[in-house]
Amino acid sequence: MSEHPPELDPRLVEILVCPLTRTPLRYDRVAQELVSDSAKLAYPVRDGIPIMLISEAREITD
Amino acid sequence: METTAELFDRHRRRVLRDRAAARYADYAFLKDAMVDDIAARVADTGKSFGRVLDLGAHDGRLGARIAGDWSVTVDAAAAFKPTLVADEDALPFADDSFDLIVSAGSLHNVNDLPGALIQVRRALRPGGMFIAAFVAGESLLQLRHDLIAADDAATGRVGVRVAPMIDVQGAAGLLQRGGFVSPVAEIDSFTVRYAGLIALLADLRGMGEANALASRLPLRRDVLADVAARFADRADADGKTNVPVQVITLTAWKAG
Repeated sequence: MSEHPPELDPRLVEILVCPLTRTPLRYDRVAQELVSDSAKLAYPVRDGIPIMLISEAREITD
Repeated sequence: METTAELFDRHRRRVLRDRAAARYADYAFLKDAMVDDIAARVADTGKSFGRVLDLGAHDGRLGARIAGDWSVTVDAAAAFKPTLVADEDALPFADDSFDLIVSAGSLHNVNDLPGALIQVRRALRPGGMFIAAFVAGESLLQLRHDLIAADDAATGRVGVRVAPMIDVQGAAGLLQRGGFVSPVAEIDSFTVRYAGLIALLADLRGMGEANALASRLPLRRDVLADVAARFADRADADGKTNVPVQVITLTAWKAG
């Protein structure tokens, strides 16, 4: 039943930055998240749409 | 980031747009007027723009009208199925990412408009162009007065029920402060005619533009009835009331 999530356009990933720290993001295809290592936030990608809202981001705890 | 001191409730603004998404096309007449004008202005430059960003895109109908190599749409609401979801004043784009940034009908209720414009300028490539249109100025002026009068009559207190709107001088100043070159702010006046207040409020909801103010108070039934009566009192012989709408259009460039 599980479908492969849609891949984000690499051109998009290239220009996206964290709205909080303005640093580049790491695209985690498996988790479908855009990870801001500097802000320790992971922005969700839902149905192929990056949700670039700090209020929706998952805090990353080490 | 989302403090109580903000004028607009970001979550509420998102919810209102999400709810409007499914039937947005039925309420897009004002958006379409802005889209036609912006598309014509882009064509008039005689330039071709490679990477295009449609900001506050709703269903993306403006970006779809502009030929580019690659078009990105941003909206605060996921239900519009944009390329990505973001607030206009917290853009997630690296500097020098787009050749053209356009926006129709969304910048009127952004919390940090000066910040949004600075971020737009940064996201443009050198020599890139920005065109935005949004409702402003004396739009809904009489309705604002009626709401204050009705609130005052019923409760002796008045609250803000319609967001304050920027005027054309203020908008020009923001472009200047935003660091753009050749900034121009223009204002156009329209009149929309409504058979009653309820029809006007239904249109606003359909556009995703019900009250998104952080300080909004519930509108009492008797106050609403009073405002509806005041609205009807101003109707012409055909029973329709003129509602003024002003649209500010910003045009500016990033230094080449």
